Amino acid sequence: MNAAFWIISAITVIGAVMAVTMRNLVHCVLALILFFLGIAGHYFLLRADFLAVVQILLYIGAVAVLILFAIMLTRHVTGTEGPSELGGKWWAGMGTAIIIAGLLWWVIGRDAVMSMLPAGEAKTSVVEIGKALISDWVVPFEVLGVLLTAALIGAVVIALEEVIRRR
Amino acid sequence: MGFLGKGLFEGMVVTARNFVGSYYDKDRLVTVQYPEERVQVPENSRTFPFLVYDSDKDLAGTMRCVACKICEVECPPQCIYIVMDRDEKGKPQQRPKVFDIDISVCMQCQICVEVCPFEAIKMDNDYEKSKYGRFDDLVEHLPDLLKSNAYYHKVKPTEATAVDAKLKAEAEKKAKKAAPAAKPAAAPKPAAAAAGTAATTPAKIAIPEDAPFTPEQREWLGKYLTTASVGATPATAKPAAEAPAEAAPSEAPSGDAPWHDPGMGMQQRMELAKDKPFADNLMAAMAQTDCHACGYDCRGYADAIAGGSEKDLSLCLPGEAETQQMLEKLMKDAGKT
Amino acid sequence: METIYQALRSWFANAPDGVLRGVAIAIPILFIIMVFPLIFAFTTLVERKALGRIQNRYGPNRVGRWGILQPIADGLKLVLKEDIVPAKADKVVHFLAPVIAVIPSLLLFSVLPIAPGLVPVDLNIGILFVFAISTASVLALFMGGWASRNKFSLLGAMRAVAQVVSYEVPMVLSAVAVVMAAGSLSTVTIIHAQSGGVLNVTGWFVFRPWGLVGFVLFTIGAMAESARTPFDIPEAESEIIAGYHTEYSSFKFALFQMGEYLASIAMAGISVTMFLGGYLGPGSGPGLFGGLISMFWFFLKLAAMIMTIIWIRGTWPRVRVDQLLAFAWKVLLPMSIINIVAVGLWRFLQPRPLAWVLTTVWVVGWFILLTKLSATEKIQKREYRYIT
Repeated sequence: MNAAFWIISAITVIGAVMAVTMRNLVHCVLALILFFLGIAGHYFLLRADFLAVVQILLYIGAVAVLILFAIMLTRHVTGTEGPSELGGKWWAGMGTAIIIAGLLWWVIGRDAVMSMLPAGEAKTSVVEIGKALISDWVVPFEVLGVLLTAALIGAVVIALEEVIRRR
Repeated sequence: MGFLGKGLFEGMVVTARNFVGSYYDKDRLVTVQYPEERVQVPENSRTFPFLVYDSDKDLAGTMRCVACKICEVECPPQCIYIVMDRDEKGKPQQRPKVFDIDISVCMQCQICVEVCPFEAIKMDNDYEKSKYGRFDDLVEHLPDLLKSNAYYHKVKPTEATAVDAKLKAEAEKKAKKAAPAAKPAAAPKPAAAAAGTAATTPAKIAIPEDAPFTPEQREWLGKYLTTASVGATPATAKPAAEAPAEAAPSEAPSGDAPWHDPGMGMQQRMELAKDKPFADNLMAAMAQTDCHACGYDCRGYADAIAGGSEKDLSLCLPGEAETQQMLEKLMKDAGKT
Repeated sequence: METIYQALRSWFANAPDGVLRGVAIAIPILFIIMVFPLIFAFTTLVERKALGRIQNRYGPNRVGRWGILQPIADGLKLVLKEDIVPAKADKVVHFLAPVIAVIPSLLLFSVLPIAPGLVPVDLNIGILFVFAISTASVLALFMGGWASRNKFSLLGAMRAVAQVVSYEVPMVLSAVAVVMAAGSLSTVTIIHAQSGGVLNVTGWFVFRPWGLVGFVLFTIGAMAESARTPFDIPEAESEIIAGYHTEYSSFKFALFQMGEYLASIAMAGISVTMFLGGYLGPGSGPGLFGGLISMFWFFLKLAAMIMTIIWIRGTWPRVRVDQLLAFAWKVLLPMSIINIVAVGLWRFLQPRPLAWVLTTVWVVGWFILLTKLSATEKIQKREYRYIT
């Protein structure tokens, strides 16, 4: 278990570092996929099968593919050299990362946050997740649904305007 | 009854019927299983030329090709190469020593077949000519090209039968022609064969060395005298001269006609025959292949023109325009046009 | 895996536990790696022969009797061919793409139960795992198409991505119907839910109104996902040469083909598991004999599915790109959502005949309505302007 954790962590970190440092946009996305895979591996290690598979299905199957599709539709499809976005703001990024890491460290270290987690074995099976979603967490679930629908309608409206303008 | 996707299912039924049917109904399978089965090639199809011979026993003797080089000259992509065979004395034999066709160049136009007066070259319909080499393997030599008349009958029965009938008719005609000539020719055969020489000798003597003539005048005179003396004999000499030519093709008097060599150029031949009688001059203008495309051998054609019995000067196919122009020039010079 | 372990335990009682566990893990892996590629190889042969017969030809019949060694000859040919990488290609991605094409396809087989207790891994999220993995296969197509640095490859990759993303949705939703009926995402439980009935046959989900619809939707989606012929526009030869694998040769090309065929076979297997009762059939059951009969039924159904896919390939023409996407979003997606409602009705309407009638009316009514709605232009006899 320990060895698996370190291997998967190494893959995740390497993927993350490659995703921000590589010049080629497509390589970045491919590294990002590697990172997503590493996260999915961690979920598997934590016995959260459902979450792991959903991670693959949504982040690799949908998000990453969407990013790739967007890249393919842009002009720099075959260019190896993308503009370096970091430039002089490298230190700013580093500072942000340190601040976020410190915050996380602080939050996880506090008993007040950790005691909010349910005691005992975490319920990760599909049936339990499903039940939780439509009983305890039904309001956030529905709100999320409305939000996503609104986003969808917004996208359609934007696309429709384009179509109408062309005509 | 129509519903959405009906056509899709109808298509499925058709393909299912094909699938099952192809196992029961062999007629559905149109594929020809090539190495085992072959498509029957239509008789009129053609691939590359081959040379016909008549008898397996005497391959060299019954080879129809006489190495006249008409096809070599006529071939548009120039894929034919012919060298006439010679005996040890250098006397031309009427058969090819080398006959090459480069089938990578040949465009299968059949013109060689059209121009051959001897029915010697014919189009094959053998389509399996693939070879391993790209260069030498694609040149067919005489042994590859020679196919028997029986083979010709096999690949193109109708055409071969027609050709056989034609050849037989020609042979009969010649035999008939030769028959009346044979009796008188029996005795005067040597004399008739030597008619040309006999006629030329006095003509040469007729102008003494010390006679006051310029070379031009001398030549003209020589020609004049020759025609005058030969012109008296052709009526009898022509059939006589032709008969022995048919009987023994190699009888062309090589000693008396040093220009009788197809390898020689026109200029050289004319040079050699310069001082000879008019008929010899005419003969030197021929292509010297004795191809009989004109209906004579070279000597016979020259004699016939000189004798006035043959008016057409365009009969020499191997010589092409060159021969015809030379013949016209000679006739014009001789004032016979 | 557990069944294999128990069997090994009973045969080699003295062997160390660790070795037995290792062997029990190795056997399914070897089975997946050896048997399914073999099935792939012979599927190509069967496909070529069947397509030949459909077109009244013989198909390959030269290598061995009935051309039985043709796959081996093809494989040898592909291995011995020169491996060409375009000069301007992205070498690393170009190399990785065929590898990534094969791995998800092989992983798909890990949740396929071929007999009672004989499933490589009984994941409790089996079906979801299948969809997650099959979506990942689109990455290989994209990488191959993008790294080749070729217009046709890129076009093929774009088409592949658009197609897979579009067809993923109705496919997952049609599987949701099955998951709702079975009450589980595990493939083994789904098969259990289909047992019973006459001869273990009438319980199959395909013999339910919503099951039939789901089966058709899922098969269409699976065929589109694995780019089989009516939906093979990512590699449409007549338009974009070979799509994303235009620049692939030698064994990389073979890997692409293998990945595609394996995905196709695996999807047929999932379809069999979800709708055609998996290994269920007359005589199937636990134990050695029942297990063998179960295996026979599973592979028979798999072969039938594969043959149907080949039959469809031999019959139907390729759809147009716009038709393809319009079909996914305007017909398949609404139908699959309607189908989910039908399963809900089926589940909660108690007298069975009533449930039968209502769900049938619901599904058929919507289908007719949808076809009427989606028929934007009336098909009529074509009029030609320049022909009198």
